Parts: sequence; C-alpha cells; structure tokens
Amino acid sequence: MQEFDHIQSLWQSHSVEVKISSEEMLVQAKKEVNGVRTRSLLNILGMLLSFTAIAALLVFFPFNSWTTLAGLGVIIVSIAVYTIILYLDYRIIARNDFTEHPNAFLSNLKIYQLNKFNLYNRLYWIYAIALSFGFILYFYEMLDNMELWIQISIVAFTIFWMFLCATILRKAYMKREKERIDLLIEKFERISEQFKEQ
Amino acid sequence: MEKKDQLFKQIFDTNSKKIFHLCYGYTGDEDSANDLLQETFLKVWQNLDKFRNKSLISTWIYRIAVNTCLTYLRSEKRQAKDELTENIIENRPEEFSEKNEQVALLYKSIAKLEENDRLIITMVLDELPYHEIAEISGISEGNLRVKIHRIKQKLTELYNQHARI
Repeated sequence: MQEFDHIQSLWQSHSVEVKISSEEMLVQAKKEVNGVRTRSLLNILGMLLSFTAIAALLVFFPFNSWTTLAGLGVIIVSIAVYTIILYLDYRIIARNDFTEHPNAFLSNLKIYQLNKFNLYNRLYWIYAIALSFGFILYFYEMLDNMELWIQISIVAFTIFWMFLCATILRKAYMKREKERIDLLIEKFERISEQFKEQ
Repeated sequence: MEKKDQLFKQIFDTNSKKIFHLCYGYTGDEDSANDLLQETFLKVWQNLDKFRNKSLISTWIYRIAVNTCLTYLRSEKRQAKDELTENIIENRPEEFSEKNEQVALLYKSIAKLEENDRLIITMVLDELPYHEIAEISGISEGNLRVKIHRIKQKLTELYNQHARI
C-alpha cells in the first residue's frame, strides 16, 4: 500500500526533458504558416515557368498563321491573369506575421481560403475554357502537316490532360489545401479563443 | 523587439520544464505535451506586452497552460489516455525498469481522474503553493483544500489498484 508522499516523490523523480528551445519554438510556429506561403509561392513559380515557356515559343519560333499567334496569345494572357490572381492571394497571407498580429493573420487566412476556393471553382472553369480556346487556335496550324494518328493522339492527350487537371487533380489539390488551412485556422482560433478566457 | 525576445527566453527557460510536466501529466503523451507547451508559450510571447504584474508571471503562464490543456484535448478528440500511458512502457522497452513501471502506473492513475482534477493534482505534485493553484484554477482556497484532499485520496487509491493488478 503506497501513500501519497511516495506518489509525489515518484512524480518528482521522473524528470522530463523539454526538447525545444525558445528560439526553436518560435521558428517552428512560424514554419507552419510559412508552409502555406511557400506552397503558394511555388504555385506562382510554376505558373511563371509556364508563362516563360510559352512566351519563348512566341519569341523564338516563326509562325505563319494568325491562329497560332492568337492561340498562344490567349494562353499567355490566361496564364498571366491566373498568376496575378495567385500573387494577389499570396500577398494576403504574406502581409502579416501570425506571431506578431495573430488576429489580423487569422482573418487574412480565412480570406485567403475563400479566395482559393473561388480560384479553383468558378475562376478555374473560365481559365480552363480560355486555355482550351487557345489550344484549339494553336493546334489549327501546328497539327496541319502531321499525320492523322498523330493529330488525334495530341488532341486526345490534351483533352485527357485537361480533363484530369479539371477533375481528379483539382479536387485532390482543393481537398488537401482546405484540410491544411482548416487545420491552421482551427489551431490559431483555439489559441486565440483560449486566451480570451484569461 | 530584442528586449522582448530576451525576456521571453528568460521566461521560457524558467518555466518551460514545469509547464511541460503539467502538460505531460495531463496528456500522458510526450508529443501532445510538446504541442501544448508550444501553444502555451506562443500565446505567452504574443501577449507578453499585456501582462500587467497583477499576479506572478508563473501563475499567468500556468493559467494559459491549464486553459490550453482543457481546450486542446476537447477539440482534438485525442486518443484515449489509457492507450497513451500504456505506450510509455511499450514504446521504450530499453528504459524498462521497476521505477519506470511505477511512473507509468502513476500516469495511468492520473489519467483516470477528471480533467480539472488531473491539472490540479499535477500542480500539487509540483509543489505549487495552494494560493497559486487557487488563482490558476479559479477556485477559492478553502474549496481547493477540500478538493485537493479528495483528489489525493482518489489518486492514491487508483495507484494502489493499478499496482495490485
């Protein structure tokens, strides 16, 4: 039969080790937020790369038909507009530091999530239609001299790829991104709510 | 800013171990305790300017930690505590010894207590003065003494029960 004194001495003899320093703690807290920022930046970077690649086509390759130029033009403008929207969204979360201004950051994170939702729903379809239109114009000249089976393959692959992006990939990305941001919002709300109770 | 960082560092170094032990006692799980420690000190850092010296800074931090613990487990719907405390033994066979087994039994017994009681007894075990515990938990000192007496009895009973099994 043990007494409470024994329990207390047992408790005190069990030394716990804090594995994080004050500096590491702040860095870690900021890292979660930076993760969302980094993904947003990578997204923008990917779009910029696409923009550059297609712009290079326009600059370095001579095209005879106006349809090709118009097609590439439509694609480039679509990518540019989408990239600008992505950048504006990025600025929303880049504006505040959670550890400095938690409430402002939290409300910005909610706006960012809503914007992302719009971007990958209504705006995405406008973007996809514009891109498809651009590709149709572009393929008009480009596929002209190719064999029929190659033409069919390229068009089929393009349709398949766009369908894949618009359905499975888009939904998976949206789901993952929503979960990540929901988790962050929940965590920061819990921290803020908890402190209001003090 | 540098002054604030330095002050925070000092506060963290002085209080983190006790707060971690409190969180560990409450969750019985090192990872969750780490999460709670981080949440607590993140909030301390953000609100350091608002601290008005009405109470001891340690009391203020304990209050944040206690509220963090209570809201954390409720919102996260964490794994049942029994399983977590059992993991203390199962996950670290190399550290297995009679003392470790007793420590694990202690955590298991604490886990059987009510959430608030768990936090109170953790502070008692860490020898916090009663008036401070009363301030942290928002209970009058008279009531707290009665409560602590009851929790001590309950914990001892639970520990002995587990020890017999």
